[in-house]
Order: sequence, then structure tokens, then C-alpha cells
Amino acid sequence: MRWVDFKESLSEFWSDFRRQKSGLLGLLLLFLFIFIAVAAPIITSPDIPERWQSFWLDNPKNVPPTWVNVFSGQTKAPHLIIEGENLQKLITKTDSGYVIEVEYINEYDVPPQDIVIKDLSGETTGGKPSITVIVKRPDNKEVTLIENYKFSGSLVLQLGTHPQVRDNLLKWIKSEGIYIDPLQEFQYKTLMDATKVIFGKLNENILENPEPLKGTYKFTILIKVPEGSSVSFDNAKVIFTGRTYGWLGTDFKGRDLLAGIIWGSRVSLVIGISVAVVSVLVGIFYGVTSAYLGGWSDELMMRFQEFMASIPSLPILILMGAYFGGHIKLWQIVVLLAIFGWVGIARVARSMALQIKEQTYIEAARVLGAGTGRIIFKHMVPQLLPYAFAQMALSVPGAVLSEASLSYLGLGDPTAVTWGQILHDAQVAGAAVNGYWWWVIPPGLAIALVGLTFVLIGTALDRVLNPRLRRL
Amino acid sequence: MGFGKYLVVRLLNALVVLTIVTLVMSALFVKVAEKDLENTIVQQVNAEFQSLQQQGKIPEDPDAWRAQRIAHYKEQYHLDKPYWWRVQYYFKNTLTFNFGKTKNPVFGSEKDVVAILKMAIPRTIQLFTTAQIIIITLGILLGVKAAQMVGSLFDRALSVIALVMSSIPMWWFGMIMLLIFSFKLGWFPSRAIPDPNLTGWAHIVDILKRMTLPVATIVIVSFGAWAWVIRNIMIGTMQEDFIMAARAKGVPERKVIYGHALRAAAPPVVTMVIMSLLASLGGAIITESVFTWPGMGRVYWIAIETNETNLIMGLTFVNVLLYLAGVIIADLAYGFLDPRVKVGASENI
Repeated sequence: MRWVDFKESLSEFWSDFRRQKSGLLGLLLLFLFIFIAVAAPIITSPDIPERWQSFWLDNPKNVPPTWVNVFSGQTKAPHLIIEGENLQKLITKTDSGYVIEVEYINEYDVPPQDIVIKDLSGETTGGKPSITVIVKRPDNKEVTLIENYKFSGSLVLQLGTHPQVRDNLLKWIKSEGIYIDPLQEFQYKTLMDATKVIFGKLNENILENPEPLKGTYKFTILIKVPEGSSVSFDNAKVIFTGRTYGWLGTDFKGRDLLAGIIWGSRVSLVIGISVAVVSVLVGIFYGVTSAYLGGWSDELMMRFQEFMASIPSLPILILMGAYFGGHIKLWQIVVLLAIFGWVGIARVARSMALQIKEQTYIEAARVLGAGTGRIIFKHMVPQLLPYAFAQMALSVPGAVLSEASLSYLGLGDPTAVTWGQILHDAQVAGAAVNGYWWWVIPPGLAIALVGLTFVLIGTALDRVLNPRLRRL
Repeated sequence: MGFGKYLVVRLLNALVVLTIVTLVMSALFVKVAEKDLENTIVQQVNAEFQSLQQQGKIPEDPDAWRAQRIAHYKEQYHLDKPYWWRVQYYFKNTLTFNFGKTKNPVFGSEKDVVAILKMAIPRTIQLFTTAQIIIITLGILLGVKAAQMVGSLFDRALSVIALVMSSIPMWWFGMIMLLIFSFKLGWFPSRAIPDPNLTGWAHIVDILKRMTLPVATIVIVSFGAWAWVIRNIMIGTMQEDFIMAARAKGVPERKVIYGHALRAAAPPVVTMVIMSLLASLGGAIITESVFTWPGMGRVYWIAIETNETNLIMGLTFVNVLLYLAGVIIADLAYGFLDPRVKVGASENI
């Protein structure tokens, strides 16, 4: 085919395709997916796949996305990390050490889960540095949350669950003249939600049923450094652990689900497209060869095709997973899905090839001495290409679904971030039971959307390339 | 070629396929089971050793005793025989429905594979056949309706629903259904195992309640695609001459559609019905797992998770058998409903 012809047929195809609105929508979605997949390291961060298996300690666990606040009567605190430049600005050096002053504007009905001071590293040759945290509340009360807490090495101080903080809070409440049932005091010491008290209105209900006190809170963190020792703030963070997080919330390991979904698109697209292309090409060559050879070879090839078709594929895939040691690597999934994917297409390709075979130019080519390979590759397969393109698009959703299903069953590649894997984790953690909808719905919608994208493109291609169907 | 000969050829063909599939399965399973069995033997021998220790009867030479016990179990599990001997042994047993027993009980105390299959198959049929009947009814009604008014809003909406729904993973939809109707609203139980304390009417209501969510999931995900296919078939049939003739004769429209067009469109529809019923018999492994529905799919999953080789073998064999039987029945039904096809199909054999 000459280049000019190719260009002409391409533009002709495009003018036909343009009229398919659903096809255009599919194309748009496809570009969107490709963009997301390619830009994943830029949109999120390039180290997501390596970090995915570990716990994301800085993030809250199992919290919904921030935008739920719009739909619920109760606003929940989002996640806030103060680190790097922003933190350095708040640090002042004093004679005996450092002071960090952090302001937090609480405008939420549910305050942060925890306040974490993290990764301050102390060099202790002289003596251990110590930390004191005082909060000044909007009602002008000052509470010392923790006093002279000594540390060395890297410090992780969780104020929300620290026993000393709870003690100090109870002491403060008593000193304000609020009665605490001595019988229940121990229970409060072990179980109370300290941040709700810190951010709560000072009244009788502050322990049992705290009401939020909105306004600006000023946290003063005093760090005393004895002579000979030093403290480094290079990696330090102050985290107000949110009750909500980002666009899609977090899972039980505190992982940002949005990042997972974005990275999952890569695996889905790569597996879907490669499986579809390989299995359709194999199917078409198989079917055409079978039809062209005819006779015993045809018989044999069709028996083999029937044999493949009658093997239940998912169980065998699962079994293969067990055989490969419980997990199937991504390339193995591609190969396995392709092995089971060509079967149906071969049958249709054969029946189409049987018609093409009877055409005179095939006979002419044979008489002129063209070899079997040449006739199959040059004369017959190109005739089937339009059908092949539509089929490729239409078999992508199946491949995406199969990969997701395998991963969901826990047989997928554990080192890859995939949608199936996310859903698997959700199922194991009982996300449905606990009502963590943000963990279950988005990955499934993403799978469905990829499927829809290719179905839209596939049916549009089908209509353009197989004009027989246009009337439908 | 006559109908009888066609049937014989078809049956023979299916038998050959069945034999080959079983042989390949046996070869594969024997390999998978090998490592598993070796581990089991070591565990068993260790357990025996410990119980002897507790009774104070430690054998004089523990290593020799161990080797002797291991050899004994190896003989019992036929691990001392060569690979191909074991393959043909499994192969023969499977072909004669002699699947043996599982290592651990499945469904209460049942260890016999055939008995487990007998328990699981009716449950799967109960669930999927109910769903399939609803899907087919809905599919035919909606599909015919859409074919009657091609290009209308209804037709387009149906196409969109069919496209969207066929891209949704059924098990994911099941999870969502559970999330909403079972855990959020509490309307339906989340587990499918019926309450053993209920009898009579209460028992039936209990089972129906437990069936609702899985059936609804299957129906919602699948009916769109069905309706769409039926619509396409019907559009093709409605353009045929005999429909025009029937209309010209003054046959009422309802009768034209349901009496003439649908009957002509029956062969592919019947094939589809049979094939999808068969596909459902294998039990959608993951769907049943999501709802803990104790059918074939769930058993399959349990078997794979706990490495019950005998059970996997039995399930796979029954699945393949059912599939092949279904293909033959579908072929015969096609030939029976549309005499033109039979000749064409048999010529190809």
C-alpha cells in the first residue's frame, strides 16, 4: 500500500468515525486515561509503587475524602502537615533551646484525630533534650499538654494518645472546677479522645460528650537542649492528623487511595491493551491459517480450538497462580490471558476467512505460485484487519476485568499497584462491613470506566469498519 | 448426513475433547498436588511423633522411624510411583467419577467430593437459574421493545445501560450492593448461609431474603447486554419479508412480534439461553465468594485456597462435562429449531 493511499483511507476513516458520537466520547476518555497513566509520577509522586506495600505512617487510617464535608452536616478536620520551609519559619532559637509556635485554626465540628510531632532528632552527648507542649485555646485558657518529656534519637510524639497528655488534661479540667467521677477517672485516662478535649468547649460535658470550640489555637513547643547536645529540625514535621484526607481518602495502611487509583491505571491499560492485541492477532492468524489449509489440518486445529474453549479459564488461571507460588507476575498474567483470549476470535476469523478463500484473487495468487505464508499474510489477514481492530477494542474490557478479578482473589502481582489489588485489600479489611465506601467504589468505577471507554470505541469502530451493521 | 449420524459425530467429538481436557488437567494437578502432599506427609509424621512423645513411647532411632513413616505415607498417596503413573491414575479415577475425599471437611463434616458436588450444584442452580430466568424475561421484553422503536430515547438509553453495565465487574457490584443494602440500610443479611433454626414458612422467607441481593446483582449487571443482543437480533428479523407479509395480511402487531418475529429469532436466543445457563452452572467463582453463597463457585474457591486437589479435579471435570453437554444440546436445539442450520453445520464436520 502506498503512503498516499494510506493517508487517504485514513482520512476517509476519520471522517466516518467523527460521526460516531459515542466513539468520540470513547476516544476522549481514552486520551484522558493515557494522560493520567503517563503523568502518574508527576501528578502524584514517582515513589508510589515502592512505598505502596508499606504503612504510610504520616497519614490517618481509614478516613473518608475531604469533600464529604460538603454533603454532611458535620465538618471533619482535614489532614494537615507542617514541614520543611513552613515549619522552619515557626522556629525561634532561645538561650536554652528552641521554641516552635504553631497556630491551628479549628473550624470543624470534629477536630483532628491526633497531633503528632515527628522526626525531631536529638544528638545526646551532654544530656537528653526535653520537649514541652503548651496550648493556648481561643477561650484564653492555657493548658500544658506535656512537660519536660525527654527524648533521644528520633522523636515521634503522639499527643492524642500519650498518657501524660491525658493526665494533664484531667488535672486541668479539675483545676477549672469541673467535677470528675473518681470511679470513671481511670477509664478516661485510658480511653478518652484527647484531641476532642483539647479542641472542646470547657463545660461539664467536656469528657463525655465534648462540643467543638472553634477558633485559633496556639501550640507552643518548647525544646530544651542541654549543653553538649543538639537537636536537628531538618526532617521535622508537625502533623494534625485529619479525620478526612485528600480527594479519595485513605485505607487501613493510611495510603492515599487517589495515588493508588492513578497508578493503577497504568497496569490496567498496559494489561488490557497488550492482552487484546496479542490475543486478537493470534486468533486471526490461527483462524485464517485453519481456513486456508483446510482438510485434516483444519480439522486438527479446530479440535484444538474446541479443546481450549472447553477449559474453564478462570479456575485454570487461579490454579496457575497457585502453581507460580501464590502470585502471578504481570507479564505472566498477560501471557495467560492471551492463551485463553484468542479462542473465540479464531472461530469467527475462520468463518470469515472461509468466504475470503473462495474469492478469485486468492486462487489467482495460488496459481501464480504464491506460498501459503504469503497468501495468509499478504492477501487474507489484511482483509480481516477492520474486524481485528474492532475486536481488539472490544476485548480490552475482558482482559482488564480478568486481571482485576485475579488480583481481587489475591493472586495478582503484589509488587504492582492495581485496582484489583486495592479491592482485594478492601475485601480483606472488611471495607464493606465497616462502610468504607471510598475504598470500594472508586476502583470499581475506574475498572468500569476503562471498560466503557473501549466498548464505546469498539462499537464505533465496528459500525464504521463493518458497514453491514450500520443500520443497527 | 442424517440427524442420527450428526448426533453420533457430535457426541464422539465431545468425548474426545473431554478425554484430552481431563488428561491435561490430570497432568497439571498431579504436579501441583505433589509439593502439597509432601508437606502434608511431613506434618502428619511430625504430629505422630509428637503424640508418641507425649505417651512416652519415643522410638529408639527417630530418624529411621521417620523415614519409615514417610515411606509408608508416600506409598499410601502413590508418591512413590513415577509421574506418568500418577497422571493416568488420576485420569482414570476422574473419568469414572471416582474423585476420592478431601483432606479437610467442606460444608460441615462432608469429605466426599461427590457428596459435596451434589450439595453445591443445586444451590448454584437455585441462584443462577432464578437470576437467568429474570434476565431472559427482562431481556426479551426490553429488547423487543427497543427493536420496535429503533433510535428512540428508550432504545438509546437501553444501549447506554447495556454498554455501561457490561463493563462493570459483577463481584464489585456485589460488594456495593452489600455495602448499601446490607451494612448501611440493614435490609438484607450479608451472608447467604440460611439460619438452621428456622423451619417452614420462616425458612422460605429467610432463603428468599438471602437470595435477593445476589440475584439482584446478577440481574442488574447482565440484563442490559441481553436486551441489547435481543434487540439486534430482532431488528434483523423484523426486516425480513415474511414479517412484511404478516403485517400486510393484517395480523395484529403483537402477534407479528411475539408470534412471528420472536419465533424466527428463537434459534440464536435459545443457544444463548443454554450457553449462559451453563456458564452460570460453573458458578461465578468470585460472585459467590462475595456473597458467601455455598454453591459451585464458592466450593471451587475453598478448594483452591485450601489446596484440595481432589475437589478441584472433581469440580473442573463436572464443569467441562456440563459445558460439553450444553454445547451439544445447544447445537441440537439449533438444528431442531432451524432446519437450514443442521445441514450447514453437519457439512462442516
